[in-house]
Amino acid sequence: MEENIINFKATVNGLILIMREEDDFDTVYENIERKLESSGRFFKGASMSVKYRGRKLNAEQEKMISELISKKTNAEIKSFEEDTSVPEPSADETEKVIEKPKMKRVFFKDLEEGVTKFYKGTVRSGKLVSFEGNLVVIGDVNPGGEVIATGNVIVMGSLRGMVHAGADGNKDAIVAALSLQPVQLRIADVITRPPDTKETSRGLVPEMAFVRDDLVYIESFLPQYK
Amino acid sequence: MSEVIVVTSGKGGVGKTTTTANLGTGLALAGYKVVLVDTDIGLRNLDVVMGLENRIVYDLVDVVEGFCRVKQALIKDKRYEGLYLLPAAQTRDKTAVNPQQMMKLCQELKEEFDYILIDCPAGIEQGFKNAIAGADRAIVVTTPEVSAVRDADRIIGLLEANELRNPKLLVNRLRIDMVKRGDMMSIDDIIDILAIGLIGVVPDDEKIVVSTNRGEPAITDDKALAGQAYRNIVRRIRGEEVPFMNFNEDQGFVDKLKKLFGLKAN
Repeated sequence: MEENIINFKATVNGLILIMREEDDFDTVYENIERKLESSGRFFKGASMSVKYRGRKLNAEQEKMISELISKKTNAEIKSFEEDTSVPEPSADETEKVIEKPKMKRVFFKDLEEGVTKFYKGTVRSGKLVSFEGNLVVIGDVNPGGEVIATGNVIVMGSLRGMVHAGADGNKDAIVAALSLQPVQLRIADVITRPPDTKETSRGLVPEMAFVRDDLVYIESFLPQYK
Repeated sequence: MSEVIVVTSGKGGVGKTTTTANLGTGLALAGYKVVLVDTDIGLRNLDVVMGLENRIVYDLVDVVEGFCRVKQALIKDKRYEGLYLLPAAQTRDKTAVNPQQMMKLCQELKEEFDYILIDCPAGIEQGFKNAIAGADRAIVVTTPEVSAVRDADRIIGLLEANELRNPKLLVNRLRIDMVKRGDMMSIDDIIDILAIGLIGVVPDDEKIVVSTNRGEPAITDDKALAGQAYRNIVRRIRGEEVPFMNFNEDQGFVDKLKKLFGLKAN
């Protein structure tokens, strides 16, 4: 079940039901029912007025939800109407936004085909190359250099710096390089670093990193190296 | 045709000043008119390494601020014909000069000299920006250590961002025995990361310390391995093709035999 489809908020005057505009009525209804199933007993015997916001409801729908809440909570619903007051952004909410800027509901999805930046040259120490989309570096990424993209990152050279693919949350993003030896490799919110044991250089072995079950897997994408 | 060459590294203590002193002396010995400019204002060393400390009257800051003419501040090195030093101020800091002033100064010096070698301070701040402002070419000095190579990489990026294309790499203080044991980065390892052209490799040499303390550049020492390396670099600056030194001098009898029969390429 997807969270946040509906939300209840208690106020001095009663309860506010917060819905999302994009969900259809049936989904909303179902979710209210399910939510009250788990937390409805809390309101037992109370008497309150309920307001709703976030979505328009017609008279019939208002009546349905009102009855549903009444039935599930055993509370007396004095009124059920649209909340017309402008919601104040509570301190709690603004804090959340600052804390987790990557909690955007929509992240970059065009991994198969989409907007792509081609960066020609070596990404040297202290240099940051970032792009909202897929990123291809035609050259090396040196230690101390950083490449960040919201899509896939492909390095046509040795990747020895820091790399972050799917930077706004897409775990399907991949990192591929002709030689994959990053200082740190991040895909969405999964962060890995290579093992401390120093690996002897094997020359250029093209490899690809991807995430499965919150773990980063690295494998060769050319059959002759497998 | 005169040239302004900046000697830089990012990291401190890798041998920028020693390199500047030796290359400058070498170019002067080859018959060019050379001036060494110390831009490490507040932490000057080049005058000490050149043994000219006690002759400083005016300095770089005096020149750019207009207290004296360039010629008054230049110190002539009596040992080597055609070698001059423009010392840095010791009682000021890097903000006393700005890049525009340095560009103007370099233009002025170009009229008089064949080679202007600029000794850059460590770091990437104002001092570095001043030093590279008027430069035509750059020599990036590094030692075979990861930290020095990392900083060199940053510097190369900054040089390229400032339109100083194709900087040349000078690897200083290489210890062949350690490289052979695998305890030190090899030239190939360094080139692999930095991906720029090599202008020379200077082996680690005790004689450098001795000569630096005495104020006599090691390039004049015929017996010193480092001196030979610097002489080769001077020839490369002048545009000659000089093969890189073979440091495997103390190779064993078997190696020599192999070489004799062509089994070993180097």
